[in-house]
Amino acid sequence: MDSLIPFTTSGALVDCVDRKMLVILRDGRKLHGVLRSYDQFANLVLEDTYERIYHGNTFAQDWRGLYVIRGENVVLLGEIDLDVEDDVPLKEVDYQTLEPYCKLEAEKRKQRDDAKAQILFDQNGCSKEGGEGDGY
Amino acid sequence: MDPSSSSIQEPFDLIRLSLSERVYIKLRGDREVTGVLHAYDGHMNLILSDVEETILIVDPDSATEAPVPVNVAKRKMDMLFVRGDGVILVSPPSRA
Amino acid sequence: MLIFSVFKTLTDQQVTVELKNDLSITGTLKSVDQFLNIRLDNIKVSDEARHPHMIAVKNCFIRGSVVRYVQLPADHVDTQLLEDATRRGDNSTKAIVLTLTIKNRNAETLKFHYG
Repeated sequence: MDSLIPFTTSGALVDCVDRKMLVILRDGRKLHGVLRSYDQFANLVLEDTYERIYHGNTFAQDWRGLYVIRGENVVLLGEIDLDVEDDVPLKEVDYQTLEPYCKLEAEKRKQRDDAKAQILFDQNGCSKEGGEGDGY
Repeated sequence: MDPSSSSIQEPFDLIRLSLSERVYIKLRGDREVTGVLHAYDGHMNLILSDVEETILIVDPDSATEAPVPVNVAKRKMDMLFVRGDGVILVSPPSRA
Repeated sequence: MLIFSVFKTLTDQQVTVELKNDLSITGTLKSVDQFLNIRLDNIKVSDEARHPHMIAVKNCFIRGSVVRYVQLPADHVDTQLLEDATRRGDNSTKAIVLTLTIKNRNAETLKFHYG
């Protein structure tokens, strides 16, 4: 039975506990925090969570606290390499300053995607991917 | 092969008959692939080889007058797993 | 279960996982589970400039439901074996795992499973 441990959800996540992780959600949000717990659905408990936003070569973060994340909204759980993190060529800026830029960018992207989907639907009958807002 | 396996009783039987043949798959998200089918399961997860993917690309910014030209990008891959939830249809090879 | 078994035989191989959000990640397949959640180590994101948040990530867990494609190493997939197992509607995946694993380790096919 030992040989089966790598082939379970827990087997994949057990060594991530108590580490600093990046969680990407289906709506595109990026959360940084310490993984404290998980289960077989990849429901996650993230402690000392910050939400990070990125624009060009800048980023900003805002404190969010303790999160229990429902698994179905998780896209990816990444282990942060703390050595590399210090050398990341991005500049941290004030969250309030950066937020409007990111909102505008997201808005533009949404309009583009909607227009594109409509054109393809009209011309080729292509249906959109995801269906329930996989805009991540 | 046992004789009953060549009869078609349910949709998946048609896919089974396409094993080791080149099939056309239409996917969500403006994509299509063709490839040789080697495996599938009940979720319509597929494993294909010698795959060619076609992606439809439009540039809505040029959308002043309809119809907007739709461009295609193509890409080849040796061996590909396709997740079943993205599959719209599987078209078996035509048998003339 | 068949596809799960195939992925199990590909552990420690290089694969490229393409997500539905167009993020494409290449890495060593370390683990897979029944939902086809995938654990990749030593990852490399293609077009890193578009995904600056991924720069500091070395290992990751990808939820199966967000995967669009996985590009597999063709020389580690026995297509004949897969077709046979698919035709049988195979539920006894042990034979496949055993056979494929041994095949991948020493490049020998075990014919006796099929008689």
